[in-house]
Amino acid sequence: MVTVQTVSETELVVSAQHGDRNAFSELVRLHARGVFNVVYRMCGDTLVAEDAAQETFLRAWQNLSSYHPQTSLRNWLYRIAFNAGMDMLRKEKRILPTSIEDLPLTDDRPSPESLASQKERAALVKKAVLSLPDASRAVLVLKEYEGMSYHEIADALDIPIGTVMSRLNYARKLLKEKLEPKLFVQLEAEHV
Amino acid sequence: MSNHVTEWLNAYFDGELKNGRLHQVEKHLAECEACRMELESLRGLSELLQEAPTPDFPSPERFAAQVNLLLPHKRTPTPKPTLFDLGWWMIPVSILAVWVFVSTAMLLSNVVSIANNYGLLDNATGAWISGPSETAEVTATLGQFGVLSGDSLQWAERTESATRNVFPQVVLKVAVALMYLAWFAVWWARHTRQAPGRLIEG
Repeated sequence: MVTVQTVSETELVVSAQHGDRNAFSELVRLHARGVFNVVYRMCGDTLVAEDAAQETFLRAWQNLSSYHPQTSLRNWLYRIAFNAGMDMLRKEKRILPTSIEDLPLTDDRPSPESLASQKERAALVKKAVLSLPDASRAVLVLKEYEGMSYHEIADALDIPIGTVMSRLNYARKLLKEKLEPKLFVQLEAEHV
Repeated sequence: MSNHVTEWLNAYFDGELKNGRLHQVEKHLAECEACRMELESLRGLSELLQEAPTPDFPSPERFAAQVNLLLPHKRTPTPKPTLFDLGWWMIPVSILAVWVFVSTAMLLSNVVSIANNYGLLDNATGAWISGPSETAEVTATLGQFGVLSGDSLQWAERTESATRNVFPQVVLKVAVALMYLAWFAVWWARHTRQAPGRLIEG
């Protein structure tokens, strides 16, 4: 049995690797919110995100023996989470916008006055993020919502740092191109 | 303003630049209005992204309890190494062992040859160890019949010596290196295929 307060994450991992379900549950408790946030930002759907988060931890339990405690558990979990999220989306056949052009941000959108609503703006931002290519979205989510460094992102996604930079630049460029005309102007107007 | 630092602005904004590159970007930003505006737009985008809220998440304790109920009672055990796995790992070990053995044998042979040249071994042992090879006999015979003489005979003897001593070593080491690299390539391919996480490609 594991005493939560006195046990480090590494000790929890080692115990879980030896089959201690309580130790694993404690690890789940520690990382549940982070994993859920990441998969939600990738999927954009609360129910899918919950399923994907559960699937993430089930896969982690199954593959725990291949995890090396010297490396970051969070990064390892996030890698599994991204894959679980993508698999879940395919399974659920939830269709994300395939390109940023699919976003309903053209002239038939609500007027700037109604865009002042933070809720609507948040919805537009969410759609814009979801319309990004998976690879770029993954990097953007880890940077903007998880505050991870380039090095940590590279580790979590198993890609070179140069690729992290290029995908992040690309994601931000795409987002700015679509959101800038409507939302940045609105933001500036609010700040005046 | 030429030489914009656009490609480094994201990294600058994220606090990922250091030393020379950081100073370069800071210096450029102090002079370039366009890049300052670009940096501001990055800041604006980041603020905008934070406006998309994360929905409520069930309490971590409850979620952990749910996951615990779903966990299989017995985790899939790590498979014990099979005979194939052991044999698989024996390949590089064998290659290295052969390489060590042959290198040691050649080293000893060279040591004995040098010792013999300096007369440190008795005649019988020396003759047995460093008896002329077939190519050396051919070279000597050609010299006797006047086909080779003077510089060309010396050159032929040196070439023959190099061919006999150096060439096999080079061939052996290249062969061992190639075999090892081939094994490593196959190992890497298998290892990548077996990894639980896979790359996300867009």
